[in-house]
Amino acid sequence: MESNKVEQLLEAYFEGATTLAQEKQLRDYFTSTEVAPHLEDYVGMFSAFAKAQEETYNLPIEIPKPKRRYGWISGVAAVAIVVVGLTIQLKGDNDAYTGTYEDPEVAVLKTKQALGLVTKMFNESTAQLGAVNEFNSTTSNFFKK
Amino acid sequence: MDQKTFITLVTPFKDKIYRVAKRLLISEDEAQDATQEVLIRLWTRRDQMKKYRSVEAFAMTITKNYCYDLLKAKRSNNLRIVHNNYEDHSRNTGRQIEVANEVEWVYTLMKDLPEQQRLILQLRDIEQFDNSEIAAMLEMNETAVRVALSRARKTIREALIKKQNYGVQ
Repeated sequence: MESNKVEQLLEAYFEGATTLAQEKQLRDYFTSTEVAPHLEDYVGMFSAFAKAQEETYNLPIEIPKPKRRYGWISGVAAVAIVVVGLTIQLKGDNDAYTGTYEDPEVAVLKTKQALGLVTKMFNESTAQLGAVNEFNSTTSNFFKK
Repeated sequence: MDQKTFITLVTPFKDKIYRVAKRLLISEDEAQDATQEVLIRLWTRRDQMKKYRSVEAFAMTITKNYCYDLLKAKRSNNLRIVHNNYEDHSRNTGRQIEVANEVEWVYTLMKDLPEQQRLILQLRDIEQFDNSEIAAMLEMNETAVRVALSRARKTIREALIKKQNYGVQ
């Protein structure tokens, strides 16, 4: 390629006005052995671009393993187990609360007995709280009014 | 799409992903990790890929976004300051001497370009995408791409000419 044509191309190149094909011409020219002496300044630039194109990525491509095709079955199984478990549990609970008394009189007596038991327990536990009063009498020794 | 089809699909442009990532991140190791990450992202979005006119352009957009995020994270971790200190230091000790040949010198100059110009120069002059493709990848308009490209090329030219005039022997 004649050097004045190269100069024209270079001018356009630095304005960003060349096409990819023209840029290839420039690269070919500057990487050849026949560069005009006054254009040697540009050899480095175009050789650098040409050389940079040769760099490659040589590591193996690692992509995640595809998911197992029947993986969803374990999900279904888990749900089934939970459902079965809950059903059994709830059914058991219902049985426990179905007991009742047929005769109203017996029911009243049984309720009274139960409440009486609660009252008795309650009184027993409050009786022990009497010990707390001891604190009041001991602190009054320190804090004189 | 199975793994084999996917690998056949991405193989023609995996090098491009790597080179673009390396241009932005500088470090070879980071670029390798980034390439791997971008490929995984493509794999997880393989069903969406059909929607894009060019899978390659889609891959470039993902690469750009991923690298920008990394760079942003680094800056917010104050690593930038450390890096600048290091750069200034090497500048003071005469970086031109370190760079033995012209080609390496051009790569060093590219590192000093603003991120966006560096990326556009890489996509155009090395990866050979045309401006409309680059504009789509970077969500810019074509004129802005051309202006950035012209600036990047001129910056490199000026630095090269300066070196010729005052340069090392």
